[in-house]
Amino acid sequence: MSEEELLRKLSEAVISCDRETVVKAAQQAIEKGLDPVKAIEKGLSKGAIVVGEKFDKLEIFLTDLMMAADAMKAGLDVLLPLIPKEKASRKGTVVSGTVKGDIHDIGKNILAALFSANGFDVYDLGADVVTSKFIEEAEKVGADIITLSALMSSTIGGQKDVIDYLRETGKREKFIVMVGGGPTTREWAEEIGADGYAETATEAVKTALELIEKKRS
Amino acid sequence: MVAFLDVIGKALTGKPCSERDYDLKIFSTKLREVVKEYDIKYDPENLVPSDNSLADDIFKAAFDFYCEVGTYCKDTERTIKFDESEIKDRLRNAPSKIVFGEGVDAGTMVPRKPEDRTPPWRFVGAGGVAVSSEDVFMGLVENYAKISIANSITTPTLTRVNGIRIRPYSPLEILGAIRTVALGREAIRRAGRPGLPIMNSIATADSAIALVTGLHPEYGLRPTDGYMVATLAELKTNFDLLNRACALMSLGLPTAAIFGPIFGGYCGGPEGTAVVTVAYHLMGALVYQAGWFLAFPIHIKHIASSMPELLWVASVYAQAISRNTHLLALYYDYTAAGPCTKMALYEMAAQYTAAITSGVSMETGGIAKGRREDYLTPVEPRFAAEVAYAAAGMKREDANEIVKNLVSKYVDKIADPPIGMKYQECCDIKTGKPSRKCLNIYNGVRKELKDLGLDLSRT
Repeated sequence: MSEEELLRKLSEAVISCDRETVVKAAQQAIEKGLDPVKAIEKGLSKGAIVVGEKFDKLEIFLTDLMMAADAMKAGLDVLLPLIPKEKASRKGTVVSGTVKGDIHDIGKNILAALFSANGFDVYDLGADVVTSKFIEEAEKVGADIITLSALMSSTIGGQKDVIDYLRETGKREKFIVMVGGGPTTREWAEEIGADGYAETATEAVKTALELIEKKRS
Repeated sequence: MVAFLDVIGKALTGKPCSERDYDLKIFSTKLREVVKEYDIKYDPENLVPSDNSLADDIFKAAFDFYCEVGTYCKDTERTIKFDESEIKDRLRNAPSKIVFGEGVDAGTMVPRKPEDRTPPWRFVGAGGVAVSSEDVFMGLVENYAKISIANSITTPTLTRVNGIRIRPYSPLEILGAIRTVALGREAIRRAGRPGLPIMNSIATADSAIALVTGLHPEYGLRPTDGYMVATLAELKTNFDLLNRACALMSLGLPTAAIFGPIFGGYCGGPEGTAVVTVAYHLMGALVYQAGWFLAFPIHIKHIASSMPELLWVASVYAQAISRNTHLLALYYDYTAAGPCTKMALYEMAAQYTAAITSGVSMETGGIAKGRREDYLTPVEPRFAAEVAYAAAGMKREDANEIVKNLVSKYVDKIADPPIGMKYQECCDIKTGKPSRKCLNIYNGVRKELKDLGLDLSRT
């Protein structure tokens, strides 16, 4: 199998959510001496971008997105250990969760899947996450971004709590903080001092990329 | 008959599985299977289908689906499952009417059928959308209660207590819950309809403890008000929600199961969303022992329910439930556009025409996607109730033409809808009277609807 065919196989297996084929193709890529960075960028990530676009147009649905993200992760588990840390050009590290008191997690799951699919390392804390946990985890994994989901008008105060906690402990500048979810709006994000807001998960990925670039430059 | 204690027993002893496996391997797999087996297909030309066999197939698919997947309990990480005879027995014995309200304001909610002339139950107001202050809350609720064809009131949600933003599971939530009840009752009394039932009682209570506190008779709730227990997407519950159901049941209060299946989420497309919406009714009847049901299927991306696929879902789930059960079922809408816009009224008219002619009743819901504080006026609920009243008895094929015509007026704007105006911008704050601009929009759309064949002056 040529390099081009292998890359296509990796990409297509992510698109068709075929975890087993992704793993096999990743192992084949290693055996053939393919650069693992190239296998990720031109194979897995290419497929993931297609998956993200299809989900955005609702040509595929959440189950497919989650399974494609799973397949992508399985491929990364094979390839990433072979890349020296300084060469692994991941887009960034995200700590993601739904704020304290809010048990809804579907929006956050979509966000985590799309971030993963777009080359971010995602640490998903789940739902009903206590304020300090976001910060502890972000410090532990060296996160670039903390994303705070909330689905209820009664729980969005939890987003403000995390930002206030960061500010009051002198850690606000360490992380980009993004908010989203049903009752959140751009005005709310500005009011509480978030760095970014997005109405959809696809927009969130774009915003995150812009914010990271801005911060790094 | 399945008793509530049996449900808890099943939650503790049902088959264990991870939530992820439930979502991806059990729920999604079986849903695809039943949609294929019953050959359920969305038809953009028939947003309000007249085909009874489609509705019946969706019901059968949902029945098979729910027997197989059951409800996932997040606290025990087990599935609560029921067999065919348990589900049929519960459907046979579920209430076929409930009296809500007191004195001259009392009314009886009854089941309906597709094309039924029986007026739908008109549950009118904010649908739990947030407001910034008690003044806005009072102004809105008083004016909702003045809508003469309202059968019951749905209040807004308070987000602050004395200016402090409410946090869930905190004392602020308990205080907010008490205020919601007391203020809601007082606002209705001021409108001169003291017996009108509040049916999203304690909208501000997310937790069981806040709900239970708000139930104390001291604050003004009555056994003839309506009470709600939410579900978690998709077909899930937890102990806190079961605690709410348990508390309400122990007091003999009329409880609704409320659910918003997500189009584009684990439900997949319109076909899966329709099947899951019906399955939620079965879950509500069994797990929460609910007596009435509120469905709000919603779009994963646009957070609204006025797009063609979701209008089809609203129609076919309503037909499936109303043709195959006597459950007391209501539909709740989400509009993309905000108050004081033509688009919001078109979206409401399309949704309620589809749902009412398909056999359910209604609660007025989340205007401007339900996400913006104070984006509420009394005009939109009044309009929606009038549409619901006028649509009763209409043939489905006529409704289909009206709905398609309405969709053509707004479908291109769904991705970027006009947000409209806040209560404070649309209405006189002291009296709640809508502005001339707002009334002109309302009157203009009423006229357009009359030309389309939906005469709101019937009310």
